Amino acid sequence: MLSTSSITRSLARTIPRAVSGTSRTPAFRLFLRCQSTSHGNNNLNKNELPFKFSPTGPKLVKYSKDHEWLAMHADGTTFLGITDYAAAALGDATYIELPEADTEVDANDSIGSVESVKSASEVYVPVNGTVVEGNTDLESSPQLINSDPMGKGWIAKLKVDEATNKDILDKLFTLEQYEQFLKSDE
Amino acid sequence: MLKRCYVLPKLNTFVYRSQRHIQTKAPFDINDTDDQYKELNTMYSDMFSSYPKNSISNGTPTETDSSSECDDLNKEFQDLFQIDNPNLSGQELERNVKSPGRFILKSLSNNPYYNLALEDYVFRNTPVSKNITQDVFPNHRLLFYINNKCAVIGKNQTVWQEVYLSELQKQGYELLRRLSGGGAVIHDLGNVNYSFITSRNEFHSSFFNELILKWLYLFDKTLPITLNKRSDILFDGKKCSGSAFKIAQGKAYHHGTMLVNSNLDNFHGLLKPKDTPGVKWDSPSVDSVRSNISNISLESTDRFVDICIDGFKTDFKGSSPNEIPVFFCNEEETINDEILSTIDTLKSDKWKYFSGPKFDIEFLDKQVLISCEKGMVTKSNVPGLEGTQFKTLWEDEEMHRNIYPNKF
Repeated sequence: MLSTSSITRSLARTIPRAVSGTSRTPAFRLFLRCQSTSHGNNNLNKNELPFKFSPTGPKLVKYSKDHEWLAMHADGTTFLGITDYAAAALGDATYIELPEADTEVDANDSIGSVESVKSASEVYVPVNGTVVEGNTDLESSPQLINSDPMGKGWIAKLKVDEATNKDILDKLFTLEQYEQFLKSDE
Repeated sequence: MLKRCYVLPKLNTFVYRSQRHIQTKAPFDINDTDDQYKELNTMYSDMFSSYPKNSISNGTPTETDSSSECDDLNKEFQDLFQIDNPNLSGQELERNVKSPGRFILKSLSNNPYYNLALEDYVFRNTPVSKNITQDVFPNHRLLFYINNKCAVIGKNQTVWQEVYLSELQKQGYELLRRLSGGGAVIHDLGNVNYSFITSRNEFHSSFFNELILKWLYLFDKTLPITLNKRSDILFDGKKCSGSAFKIAQGKAYHHGTMLVNSNLDNFHGLLKPKDTPGVKWDSPSVDSVRSNISNISLESTDRFVDICIDGFKTDFKGSSPNEIPVFFCNEEETINDEILSTIDTLKSDKWKYFSGPKFDIEFLDKQVLISCEKGMVTKSNVPGLEGTQFKTLWEDEEMHRNIYPNKF
């Protein structure tokens, strides 16, 4: 992670505090300030397992409005994690609740959560599938969620059938659409 | 104080019923010539209405009269105690929660399971636009509830690491695992909980406590209150309010405690210190940050709630011509299947003792090692422990004494 981006992020996080420190600003003015304006690179990290699982990389990378990413490989093996934007917004992760292997999941089920600074944030799976495993590296190193959310910090490995999930996959964002979604959010 | 509020809706109903009685047909025949009943009727009409005395004698009392004393009395109660409605029914709750718009909800129940389930219900069912480009979230909700004596640990904590279970039991404290993150806290009737529901977009961990600080200053600018780095509210440098957060489905809530007149002396010895001598924990479990605590110097929990309600009504009114409504609820009337099912989950051993992070515990003296996952012993150097429930093991006093003789 580039240090400049993390500085920008932490600055963005401190803005609301500084603004409202005066306690005179009307409540609604704050809302606009609260929304972080900095998110770096929501690209999959090409040097880690979610990308390198197949020699040619994933067949499909998609994003959800709940800020999850999905990297699907040719054999249906699919990695799931939260985006760089989401990780930055949550702050330092302290505990990752992982899904159990062999759990069948339906689209939009919660498959785990990321706890950061007293906040439990649910992680949803946007497609139907079966959990192969959770990323146990996160048990001892939850900070991977912050340092490499789109690589080492993957949360779940699933088996997903592309054909039966076609409609859902079509509706999920591409990287460009996700970036656009983030912009319209600000 | 809450008890008083609880009685009031009944008073309210009582007045309303009396009014209805004199306005609908009496359960006996009113005979104008019967002096005995006439006197009785006149007495009631004098007491409860401003009709001219002769109006009752014509046998057709007017159905409604906005200036009747009953209405005045009702309104007076409402204004004085902010009771616009008696408790919501389950259906009314559902309608209000699922409809857009802001509201305040005050639970008159002290059952911690009900209150946490109610909060989760409101949170899950609050609408959020699929297309989240609105400038300001229009469906903020603010809840208040007070719980009977209980210890509440965070979603991702380990029961045995956080609390002295036997001590809680002895002193009559319930144990709960909540749905949000954060550390362990103790509640009693002198502590009031607030919960602010907003969109994920707008959520910021210090936002709502900064507002509370502002509102408290407006009430009394000499209050020695500050926010610390974890966005907790300090009174005279000691923590009087702790916060935790939950983010799901494009929404978020910030809930917090406010110690007003809690019996803090009784809180001692319920939560475990960071380190217990002779015991070594190894777990990714979320740490509790131990803090000195204090009550805030307000005369009652109701005072705190009223300050927040006033502030919320002012700062969140927006461009709406209507005042933000305050609803009341309790577990007898304001209930539905979803809330009941969450109560069951929260009460279940599965949620309390068989979920949460895995952990290794080592009793240094006897060199006993136990590894646990989801409340089950997965590994131990003591033969026969594998596959047993850690909860059962912990409750077995003899076993416990053998492994660790001190307070547990």
